Amino acid sequence: MRRELRAVLVRALAYGLVLELMLVAAVLYWPQFRDNVPAILRLVPGKVMGGMVAAMASKGAQGYVIFQHFFKGCHLLGGAAAAMFAASAVAGEVHRGTLEIWLALPFSRLRLLSERYVAGLLAVVVPIVATSASIPWLLSFVKEDASVGPWFTASLHESTFLAALYSATFLVSALGSHPTAIAFGALLVMVLEFALYLVMEATHASFYRLADIEDFTRIFDRGALDPGVILPLAAFSLLCFAGAQLAFARRVP
Amino acid sequence: METPRAPNDRRIVARGLTRRFGDKVALHPTDLDLGPGRIIGLLGPNGSGKSTLLRSLLGLVRPDAGSASIDGVRLRGDGTAVRRRVTYAPGEIALHGERTGRDQLDWLLRGRGPDARRKATAIAADFALPLAKRVRTYSHGMKRQLLLAAALAPDVGVRILDEATEGLDPTRRGEVLQRLAEDAARGTTILLSSHHLSEVDRACDALVFLADGRKIAEDSAAAVAERARRLVRMTFGDEAETAQVAARLATFPGAQLRVDGTRVSVRLDAGDPHAFLASVLSSPGLPRPRAIALGELSLAELYREVYGVEGC
Repeated sequence: MRRELRAVLVRALAYGLVLELMLVAAVLYWPQFRDNVPAILRLVPGKVMGGMVAAMASKGAQGYVIFQHFFKGCHLLGGAAAAMFAASAVAGEVHRGTLEIWLALPFSRLRLLSERYVAGLLAVVVPIVATSASIPWLLSFVKEDASVGPWFTASLHESTFLAALYSATFLVSALGSHPTAIAFGALLVMVLEFALYLVMEATHASFYRLADIEDFTRIFDRGALDPGVILPLAAFSLLCFAGAQLAFARRVP
Repeated sequence: METPRAPNDRRIVARGLTRRFGDKVALHPTDLDLGPGRIIGLLGPNGSGKSTLLRSLLGLVRPDAGSASIDGVRLRGDGTAVRRRVTYAPGEIALHGERTGRDQLDWLLRGRGPDARRKATAIAADFALPLAKRVRTYSHGMKRQLLLAAALAPDVGVRILDEATEGLDPTRRGEVLQRLAEDAARGTTILLSSHHLSEVDRACDALVFLADGRKIAEDSAAAVAERARRLVRMTFGDEAETAQVAARLATFPGAQLRVDGTRVSVRLDAGDPHAFLASVLSSPGLPRPRAIALGELSLAELYREVYGVEGC
């Protein structure tokens, strides 16, 4: 168990460190970005992208960091981490033939699966919360004021969104036996959904609409999470975990 | 039918245990009442249902029908309560190659306590396993021994070991069987599966035979050895000689005959096989056999000659 926890910690730390480095670079670039917004708006292709940059610029440093950290860093890196961590959860054991020794441990299948689900989920979301908490401190280097509270709340929203992606991939892992294919499949779906988000006529069909700049801006304006988005996402995650548990209960070595 | 139970009875009991995979019946309704404090060999060729039976007893494969109890605990749900009272070494060797031997042992012994870890480390040291090295550098036999160290360490009443001696060299196999005998002498019940009779028969007190998912026999090891001892096999020069001998031997009382090409196998219901052989060899006009085998029986031969099951 200690070895497993260590492995989860190493993964979380590695991905959290990359996320933080991306955030540092983005925050330090803020003054140049602020001074060049009109030129950037002229260069951005497409209405959706243009709208994103305009929304970002209208909210100042807050909008800029929301885009850089949540929409770019967390969606891309966090999404990839969610796909990779979840894909190997059960399918990885099946693929290398170690499912039998795992199932033979003197624990219930519910416990075995729950441990793995929670460990992977924490590895995905803790770095997001931790890096988000560092944003006010980083912004002070570019002479911008911010408090931790709204950033923490926004990180919970992003975490819930990524938890849904993680849970969906976890469900497929509980059903499948090829972790690499599952991870690439999940990444492909994310890329396609992201592409869909950028198409004006189809953007409403993309799940990235559930965690885009407008959503985060609303959270900052209200100072609270939006239950209309958070609760369905959390329910979806729970449903996926329940489905994974059903599938796992039927697995044979 | 309910399985009889008593707490800590160190018995393995099954009543009508059945498992299907789709249309295929992997395990026909099977009854067992094994132990306590004995080593029981579960014998059968590949695909005979041994692993399915063992996995069903542990709850790794959910039985379609029947009931089972181990060490007085009834198999329910996913078998967690049963697995707390039994250790298991699977037949298929697959480990986490990226872990060191020590990490893998710790992982296999999750939920078993620090004493089990200390004992497993000592057993692994006896087996000369390099616990600091990664498991992917281990040979097949070393991986088998690592699984055995984890299965032999916890203080439980029942151990289920699937193909425990497969892949071990004869010296190590002897050490493992000796260790099992000492464990059984302390009261532990050990169910040991194999598809090689000669690998396990000397260590076992009783033998259970499976074929095509059915239990076809359950005998004491001594009774099986006695049956094997009464089997005489003779090989002749050609089929004409074989037919001549077969015709004569068919008149011998208490001799069951089987002819396979130039080979005649005779199973004696009773009596001394040496005396029978002497009388055959002294019979006038009978051709002399090219080769004689007495009491040497592979598992396939035992199935064919003693239990009348083909294709093993």
